[in-house]
Amino acid sequence: MTDVLNSEWLKLRSVRSTTYVLLAIAVALLGGALVSYLMTADWDTSPPDLQQKFGAADPGVMVVPFAQFCLGVLGALAITSEYGSGMIRTALVSVPRRKAYLLAKTVVVAGVSLVVALVTTLLAYQAGELITGDRPRPISAYDSFGDAVPTLLANTASLVLLGLVGLGLGFLLRSTAGALVTLCGLLFVLPTLTLLLPYPWNDRVYSVMLPVLAPQLSGELPDPPLSPVGAGLVMIAYLVLALGAGAAALLRRDA
Amino acid sequence: MIEVRQLTKRYRTTRAVDGLSFEVKPGYVAGFLGPNGAGKSTTMRAVLGLDRPTSGEALVDGRRYADIRRPMHHVGALLDAGAVHGGRSAYDHLRVLARSNGIKDRRVVATLEQVGLAGVADRRVGSLSLGMKQRLGVAAALLGDPGVLLFDEPVNGLDPEGIRWIRHLMRDLAREGRTVLVSSHLMSEMALTADRVIVIGRGKLILEASMQDLQEKFKKDVLVRSTTPDALVAVLTAAGATARSEDGALFVQGLDAPDIADLAARHRIPIHELTPRSASLEDAYLELTEESVEYRTKETGR
Ligand SMILES: Nc1ncnc2c1ncn2[C@@H]1O[C@H](COP(=O)(O)OP(=O)(O)OP(=O)(O)O)[C@@H](O)[C@H]1O
Ligand SMILES: [Mg+2]
Repeated sequence: MTDVLNSEWLKLRSVRSTTYVLLAIAVALLGGALVSYLMTADWDTSPPDLQQKFGAADPGVMVVPFAQFCLGVLGALAITSEYGSGMIRTALVSVPRRKAYLLAKTVVVAGVSLVVALVTTLLAYQAGELITGDRPRPISAYDSFGDAVPTLLANTASLVLLGLVGLGLGFLLRSTAGALVTLCGLLFVLPTLTLLLPYPWNDRVYSVMLPVLAPQLSGELPDPPLSPVGAGLVMIAYLVLALGAGAAALLRRDA
Repeated sequence: MIEVRQLTKRYRTTRAVDGLSFEVKPGYVAGFLGPNGAGKSTTMRAVLGLDRPTSGEALVDGRRYADIRRPMHHVGALLDAGAVHGGRSAYDHLRVLARSNGIKDRRVVATLEQVGLAGVADRRVGSLSLGMKQRLGVAAALLGDPGVLLFDEPVNGLDPEGIRWIRHLMRDLAREGRTVLVSSHLMSEMALTADRVIVIGRGKLILEASMQDLQEKFKKDVLVRSTTPDALVAVLTAAGATARSEDGALFVQGLDAPDIADLAARHRIPIHELTPRSASLEDAYLELTEESVEYRTKETGR
């Protein structure tokens, strides 16, 4: 198993697409920081009554959704690039135990996603703190680091989840285009569509959409439909569903 | 040792392989022949556990491929040289495969040298020529120093020097006591490489034989020239042979050249030429597979 893990880790490191995805997240961080900086500058010159209406200048708010998509792409590409090129057949000849193959890929994608997620959320937090300095709420998102921890952890969990959902979709669909379209649908299109449902189904269905799980998990959303535990369970359901479907496709179908 | 037993593989409507059985033992090169769509690649994919047989089984050294731990040490395969991620360097591509079976990087370097790719080790696989990719595929197959080798049309895209190289490589591998199965469309190519042939058509076994037997089987007739053909025909016919006359020569079936010579000598009939003729292996192969050719070009103006 360590052999297969080693191999998968080298696989991920030795392709350019991984670098591109990480660069995209880095650019998003810079963009997020810039927006926060502009917001803060605007806040400084605004009258007090307007200042109260400001949202938090938290780069994370902008970076996390984008990074979710990026990690979804990373996870999907980890396998769809193999189906696209035919590398999967070469790979499965060297590792015919498909469960081990799936497990190794899952562990590597989860590990990389975890590191990237932690670094991204911490950098976004740190950038936000540096930019807002000792300004009060609402322009400053958090009073202290301890105040931010639940949000950072929930965001990290959602980022890892997206990496693995991407991987599962990749195993299931075997096509890069298919996996990316589905990811876009899950992250950006479906949540908007659910709002068109009649009340109370719009709120209920919206609450289990991927992008709104992290804020419910951290408990920062005021008056959320899902409790933190409920949100956590829904996240696990996404994970099991995506990887389960991917595993079924890998184990049942010819390569 | 490769054993294929009653292997059947059906894809929705096509029976790609249909009750196929054969064995390949160590020590010789087995040529796997058949027209396009005959089921050669499908059989190899089934042996390697990529495609699940509809029924029957394929075993390598008595085991199902999927049950072999670190299979690269036992089996090396080149299925489709293009089936690689174009974005990795040749070196990284081999390292990825090597690591999955606990093979050291040192061996990767040595194998790259063995196949003549040391100079392009750092180039992206996507930028390699077809022949270079083929060599890379061979390198991947050789990484684990396996005792069983499967090559699916390995000479595809190789230049004459490369073809010779593959031919020698396979003969050497077999001489070292390994099991070697090579597929091809070309009998002429296999005539130079293989010791035994397995010919299939439409997923069924047509013939499994040694190259010698095959040549023997398709021995056609003996060409005889004589100054008194009529006398010779009478003698030959009396001995149970049939003779056909054409352009002043006789084509004799039913008797070997030495028998014809003895018979003529006994009857004091002078003979000027005596040539055993066999169908070319290519003809033999075409004759064998004629029935089963699936994708035939329409012959025009005959
Ligand atoms: N994945 C698949 N899905 C559906 N049909 C397939 C699949 N793979 C092969 N076939 C069909 O099975 C038959 C055998 O194909 P196969 O590739 O094994 O032939 P082959 O002997 O390797 O031919 P070639 O000499 O052209 O490589 C063909 O009719 C082919 O169309
Ligand atoms: Mg083929």
